[in-house]
Amino acid sequence: MRGADYVVKRTAFALVTIFVAVSINFVLFRLAPGSAVSNLSRVPHATQELRQALKRQFGLDKSRGRQYLIYLEQLTRGNLGVSFENEQPVSTNLKTAILNTLPMVALGTLFAIVVGTLTGVIAAWRRGTPIEGATVTTALGFYSMPTHWLGLMLVILFTGILPTGGMTNDFLINPSFWTHARDVLSHMVLPSLTLGLVLFGEYTLIVRSAMLETLGEDYILTARAKGLRPWAIIRKHALRNAMLPIVTLVALSLGYIVAGAILIETVFSWPGVGRAVYDAVLNRDYPMLQGAFLFLTISVVFFNLVADLLYYKLDPRIT
Amino acid sequence: MRKRWSAVLILGTAVGVLLASASGAGGSHSKSGGTFRLATSSGIDSLNPYVAFNQDAYSMFEYIYPLLVQYDKDNKQFVPDFARSWTTSKDGKTWTFTTVAGAKWSDGKPLTAADAAWTINTDIKYKGGGAANAAGLIAHIRRAVAPNPTTLVVHYAAAPGNVLGQFQQFAILPKHVWSKHLGHKGADLKTFPNNAPVVGAGPFKLVEYKKNQIALFQRNDSFFGPKPQVDAFGLRIFSNDDAMVSALKAHEIDAIEAVPATAIKTLKSAGFTITQVPGVDQTDFIFNSNPKKKTHRELLNLKLKEAFAHAVDRDQIIRVVFLGTAKPADSIVPQATGWHNPQLKPESFDLGLANKMLDQLGYKRGSGGVRVANGHKMAYDVITPTSVQSTSRTFQIMQASFAKIGVQLRQKALDATTAFDEMSGPNGKYLNFDLALWDWVALIDPDFMLSVVTCAQYGGWSDSGYCDKKYDRMYSQQQLTPNQDKRRALVWKMQKYLYDRRPYVWLATQDSVDALSPKWTGLVPSPQGPFNSLSKVSLTSVHQK
Amino acid sequence: MSVVLHEPGAVADPEPVPSRGGILWNTIRRRPSAAVGAVVLSLVVIAAVLAPWIAPYGLHDQVGPVFGPPSWSHPLGLDDGGIDMVTLLVWGARISLVVGFAATLVSMIIGGAIGVLAGYFGGKTDSILMRITDYFLVIPDVPLMIVVAAIWGPSLFHIVIVIGILLWTSTARVIRAQVKSVRERVYVKRARSLGAGHARIVFRHVLPQVAPLLIANTVLTIAVAIFDETALSFLGLGDPSRVSLGKVIENAFQRAAISSGAWWAIVPPGALVAVVILSCSLIGGALEDALNPRLRVAHVSARTFRLRPLVGRSDSSL
Repeated sequence: MRGADYVVKRTAFALVTIFVAVSINFVLFRLAPGSAVSNLSRVPHATQELRQALKRQFGLDKSRGRQYLIYLEQLTRGNLGVSFENEQPVSTNLKTAILNTLPMVALGTLFAIVVGTLTGVIAAWRRGTPIEGATVTTALGFYSMPTHWLGLMLVILFTGILPTGGMTNDFLINPSFWTHARDVLSHMVLPSLTLGLVLFGEYTLIVRSAMLETLGEDYILTARAKGLRPWAIIRKHALRNAMLPIVTLVALSLGYIVAGAILIETVFSWPGVGRAVYDAVLNRDYPMLQGAFLFLTISVVFFNLVADLLYYKLDPRIT
Repeated sequence: MRKRWSAVLILGTAVGVLLASASGAGGSHSKSGGTFRLATSSGIDSLNPYVAFNQDAYSMFEYIYPLLVQYDKDNKQFVPDFARSWTTSKDGKTWTFTTVAGAKWSDGKPLTAADAAWTINTDIKYKGGGAANAAGLIAHIRRAVAPNPTTLVVHYAAAPGNVLGQFQQFAILPKHVWSKHLGHKGADLKTFPNNAPVVGAGPFKLVEYKKNQIALFQRNDSFFGPKPQVDAFGLRIFSNDDAMVSALKAHEIDAIEAVPATAIKTLKSAGFTITQVPGVDQTDFIFNSNPKKKTHRELLNLKLKEAFAHAVDRDQIIRVVFLGTAKPADSIVPQATGWHNPQLKPESFDLGLANKMLDQLGYKRGSGGVRVANGHKMAYDVITPTSVQSTSRTFQIMQASFAKIGVQLRQKALDATTAFDEMSGPNGKYLNFDLALWDWVALIDPDFMLSVVTCAQYGGWSDSGYCDKKYDRMYSQQQLTPNQDKRRALVWKMQKYLYDRRPYVWLATQDSVDALSPKWTGLVPSPQGPFNSLSKVSLTSVHQK
Repeated sequence: MSVVLHEPGAVADPEPVPSRGGILWNTIRRRPSAAVGAVVLSLVVIAAVLAPWIAPYGLHDQVGPVFGPPSWSHPLGLDDGGIDMVTLLVWGARISLVVGFAATLVSMIIGGAIGVLAGYFGGKTDSILMRITDYFLVIPDVPLMIVVAAIWGPSLFHIVIVIGILLWTSTARVIRAQVKSVRERVYVKRARSLGAGHARIVFRHVLPQVAPLLIANTVLTIAVAIFDETALSFLGLGDPSRVSLGKVIENAFQRAAISSGAWWAIVPPGALVAVVILSCSLIGGALEDALNPRLRVAHVSARTFRLRPLVGRSDSSL
């Protein structure tokens, strides 16, 4: 298969997947017992008038098929609908939540990539020594901890030293850029560290495996025999070749991290996209759920595509 | 102005270790001023009164909008807010309010009785659409007029019994802002985001709002009533209790409006002031009382209900689930409202008596000690909503004691939406479910709580399927009894009537518990907590020591 | 040859696999880490099985104050209902393991069936089944589990089904690849030419060859299932009447255990989950390594994201 073909086919597959995802989550949410209206109107002040008005307003008085067509039609125009909960556009609500999640996730992932690569390389280079044993055990240990529990452990350890809840000190009004940055960073440390530690375990093991693979190759053995300095070998030869699986795996994992951040966001009161999904489920806020799922699916599919294409680019032997 | 505002806020902030260097300017706090930082684990769902549902949102409206009346400090009497005085016509169908003269909205435009009349008339006009959220509050009103800037006249179709109770919840909106959002036959009332800074006329102005994070209020110096002692007030929203309590301990916030019972001890020992007052949130054990219910019809038997009530160990529930921060409950109307019938008492916890009553009803014990009724084992599902956290532990306690009277209970936990659908199903007919555990948060005026067991609430508020024409007649009667003493007698009678028929066995009334930093004082507790939609007193009187 | 991301199992010419019991035993004997994992896991399983007999107190008995601190009679203290923590751990491990095993069974059945069908028949069947698998791989699984668990209602059975339905993809891929390579072997071809039926070939010749790898995959899936159950419980979607380890953590967290100083209600259950998952990872990883040294990468990514093989996913399916 030629290169362009490959790219086109992968992209087409990605688009079809997204469409299927969109349709399935439309059906899934509507099969649920309990409508948004019965939930929304269980509050003081609710009347029959309110119930009827809500139904009409959100188009829930129309047939399911009709609702689906309307949904698809709106989607093609880039309109994600209006949140049942606060009647603001879903895109606005989602954008806020995503922008809150991304920096925290990015910091944690960055930590994991840097530290994980380092420890992975060391573990592979020092194969069979206690250093490898210790590194692998540590990595596996963090990998095995329930994410939210690890977060709670950090809360126990750092209460009073670092902020354990929320995203900013909201009482700083018009702070200078640096004050604000320092504030956000201090709040971000624990959630990001939680994510970073869990991912670090995973990345260490991935990098180690990839490195072991390349370190066994003939040219590395030759280089070692020639007496090149270890670091030079790693940097110039081994790591470069090991990069292929590492980069693709990391790209793959990125798509799932955002979705997985929900546990961390719950522990640390982080107002991100994971919490948005969770709240939307409880409120039966279909438009919000559909929007969030669309985003999450697109991000997974996108990073899958990136991984595919990267792999293709880095390893042209794929046909 | 903006500059000063920012400086004050930064100073008022308890600064964490990492932030210590952030507040450059020093300076001492005066007794008034500062920023009072309150935390909640609930939150404001919308800034638009036509959209909002959460209690915190209504508490916010209390502080940023004018209302005609408010409760006094003890939540017993109505006292002036935007209305200075009021009179009723002889037939009780016309109410005339004299409002504050020379008041201003926060944007400088005049606030007059015309704004109040406009809000009422708009709500009536669009009650089937954009203003449906407020429909309950303007029931029976025909129209409102403002003959001059300080007079509001409200005409009713029939003389209602709780005019002030309704207006106490009715936020007056600025006509010059909201009249631009009547498009699409009033539907635009709901889509208007009403973003901060909100034009209002309360003791505070909402200046910043981030969903699920923060609402920041600045003192409104043009407010017509008593002005707050603080410069600003912030409501910070947490997604879990643990983070909230930790933040209080770290002095990132100054107070918590609803303290988890387990944290009270440590907060006390850390020097925080804990205030505990009777609340209006009551947990209840629900019998499906629909006379048309299909299966397990023995549960409609009043004697059986009474026997079950004697198998509820309220003391243990209060000890384990609420750690003592609750009182035994016995009526649909909580004591803290002032409308509770004092003759009612919780049923005694007496397994011997319960067993004897069930024996007398002829339910013999079968295999495994479980009684048999109408040919089937007395084993029932109890629906519990996962969102009401106390129900699981409460259920465990009840399950254990019910086992001792030969009744097997099984928990069926569902999320609130599904639980309510299951109970009211199919199609709002209440035919299927047997038992449930839930809670009700009452308002001060008893009308709302009394309404939830009327036939009209089938598919609406009813969660018991209770429907009784005689009760419904008493309900409409109290609605149209302007004489409050006569109304009280009627409300007591209704409570006793329900007590005997037991659509609910009331379990415990939770106290409202708040925690306050030792640096602050003057916060006024209420059954709804210190930040409430009952009056403007709490946050206008809070100040630094 | 620097490509490590093989389709799991799709090695050009795998070594003949030793007998099933043999490989398990050999691996555990040769690798101390796997041995440790096996011993620890066995201990937990034994304790869980014996829960009704070894738990020091009743699971529903309030034996002291809410969040009572550790003492001689309650070495790990009491939880938010005044229930003994040791008792909760033993019973909680039991429920968590049941969920882990049951969900894994579900995913094994689905994944095994799809893998065998796709690998054995190839062609259209293969490409359709793999397309479905591809779709399941890109579903954001944690959010979907939340949605389904919330909508169906929190019961143990629902949780098992939800986890099982979302976990089968890696199994399907592993099995499919293995079946494909086995199918091409001489003796299978011979059996087919002798007129043996599909079912007979699959059960007599293919499955026995695939079984060891299936075992490794099973152990790893159990770990993921236990993790997922813990996560769902933490979000309040667990079955409140069945106390799993995840539920123990959630109960304590909901009632502000940390800020109330009751660390003992949160630390031990999570640590126990970590130990169980770690043991499973050690055993499963060692098994996969032993069976096929080129698989090292595959198991690592089982949790936060599920690895999608990049190469050799026959482009015939495109």
